[in-house]
Amino acid sequence: MLFQSYTDKKDGAIRGYDIKSPKVKVLAAVILLMCFLIVLICVFPAIWVMLAGFKDIKEFTRNATIWPTAFDFEKFRVTWKAFKFGKYYFNSAIAVGGSTICAVIFNGLLAYGFAVLKPKGYKVAWALVMWSLLIPATTSIVAVIRNISLIGLKGSFIPIWLAFGANAFYVVLFKEFFEGLPSELLEAARLDGCGVLQVFIRIMLPLSKPIIMVVAIFAVTAAWSDFLFPYLVLNGSGKETVMVKLFAFKDTPTDAVSVLRAVVFSIIPPTVLFAIFQKQITDSAAAGAVKG
Amino acid sequence: MRKRKSFKKRDLLGWLVMLPTLLLFAFYVWEPLLENVRLSMFSAVRYELQEFVAFDNYIKVINNPDFIAAFKNTFSYTLWSLVIGFLVPIALGILISETVRFKGLFRVGIYFPNIVPGLATVWIWSFFFNPGKTGVLNIILSKFGIDPQLWLTNPHWTIPLIIITLTWKSAGATALIYMANISSISPDLYEAATIDGAGIRQRIRHITLPSVFSLAKTLLLLQIISVFQILYEPMVMTNGGPNNASISLMMLMYRYAFRDFDFPSGAALSVMICIVLIILSGIYTVATRKKED
Repeated sequence: MLFQSYTDKKDGAIRGYDIKSPKVKVLAAVILLMCFLIVLICVFPAIWVMLAGFKDIKEFTRNATIWPTAFDFEKFRVTWKAFKFGKYYFNSAIAVGGSTICAVIFNGLLAYGFAVLKPKGYKVAWALVMWSLLIPATTSIVAVIRNISLIGLKGSFIPIWLAFGANAFYVVLFKEFFEGLPSELLEAARLDGCGVLQVFIRIMLPLSKPIIMVVAIFAVTAAWSDFLFPYLVLNGSGKETVMVKLFAFKDTPTDAVSVLRAVVFSIIPPTVLFAIFQKQITDSAAAGAVKG
Repeated sequence: MRKRKSFKKRDLLGWLVMLPTLLLFAFYVWEPLLENVRLSMFSAVRYELQEFVAFDNYIKVINNPDFIAAFKNTFSYTLWSLVIGFLVPIALGILISETVRFKGLFRVGIYFPNIVPGLATVWIWSFFFNPGKTGVLNIILSKFGIDPQLWLTNPHWTIPLIIITLTWKSAGATALIYMANISSISPDLYEAATIDGAGIRQRIRHITLPSVFSLAKTLLLLQIISVFQILYEPMVMTNGGPNNASISLMMLMYRYAFRDFDFPSGAALSVMICIVLIILSGIYTVATRKKED
């Protein structure tokens, strides 16, 4: 029975002992119904775009229906080939891979400095990093793009990768995790004569698998979705990512259904990733964001 | 505090470990902030600086009629996001906290929009808001016998609808933070309230809401800071239209720098936006510090 489960309810205003009253039962049922409606609103747009991708342009512009007349995967294949999405997926994979590696290594090392090594005067650097958490990159994009052009890195993946190495949010995540590690372990390793980098590689890294996973998942989804900076750096270089292409549709007249199918292509990888790591992602989203 | 000692080899090693990342921060974040100020005071041909013009670029930007529109709109975005975007996650968090069965499904479901790339989100919603008979929302409305609406092409609706799109994307992630906060409320409080005769509605009002309040204050400021920089949503959904009804300050900055290749004016506008953001984050820092004391 549905209401049985409420007797063990551990949080919220409705307590286990309330559920005997019929009024509370109605309330609980209404809340449950509303939650289902909310989830429907959350997933419907993504479902719609997949359904609409099966329509051809005539059907899309003339028929006022949500359901397509036929489910023909050939349409997706044609769009995939016509717009060379294989190439963009490949470029995205390179951008995402490099960005994720940079996100883990660089931010991890900085957090190691802040949390464990604490060299004299580190607090100044920490304050500066925290400050940049609040002033996101978009406000300084003019100067960044100019600098990248001046040193001749336009049209290269390198600035895309390295941009993920300077992320204050990831630094905070790493730092909090490192501070929770038993300090006796690090002290013992140091007494055994391990150098600063040895401690990091032999002790910190193996213990840090959970946080590395979290940062890597965040970095993969962020790098996949990123488009403004990659657009300004990569557009016209032949290294455009899926998102850069999707952004460029804004300025190039393209039929609506092709855009829709491109949107589907851009949603699939993060959705698969989310399906696999849903628990890690929702848990760390709830815990991490408050502190950041 | 560690033992006071002079700058030793260990400190040097520590700084060496941190140096590569600090250089990246310098390149991507700190130097560009200062560089923007310098750029904004020069004239330029493409990337090449020409001569020092002091505040001429600022005057030019402020006198652009689009600036007033963008300035007003940016505040309008922020205001609407307070009305819509701020309350929805709190409501979601409370509702889902009051469920037992399917809670896992609800958590994953409301977080899903956050995983959809931002650009895909705005593309999908621009099709939803298609003003024709075949626009998705108009199809749904027609099932209830309601006439097709103009949606984004109605200048009074443009900004609220873009905020709804933003809210769809981010509310679930924020709701999870509220849920974590709500589940950490001590059950004793609710039980004591019950003994005092409080009904469920009173318990939510006097226990749940006050305890999410301090978190809400923090998230509110973060939200203002992020909505103030709204850029690509109006760019893709409306291109700033109809008739500048949805152009934002960041969008104007983007047009200066990357459409007209007038980098100094783009930098000048960036500096102005940045000053506002620094003031806002200053308020944020003060507000959160008080909480920790």
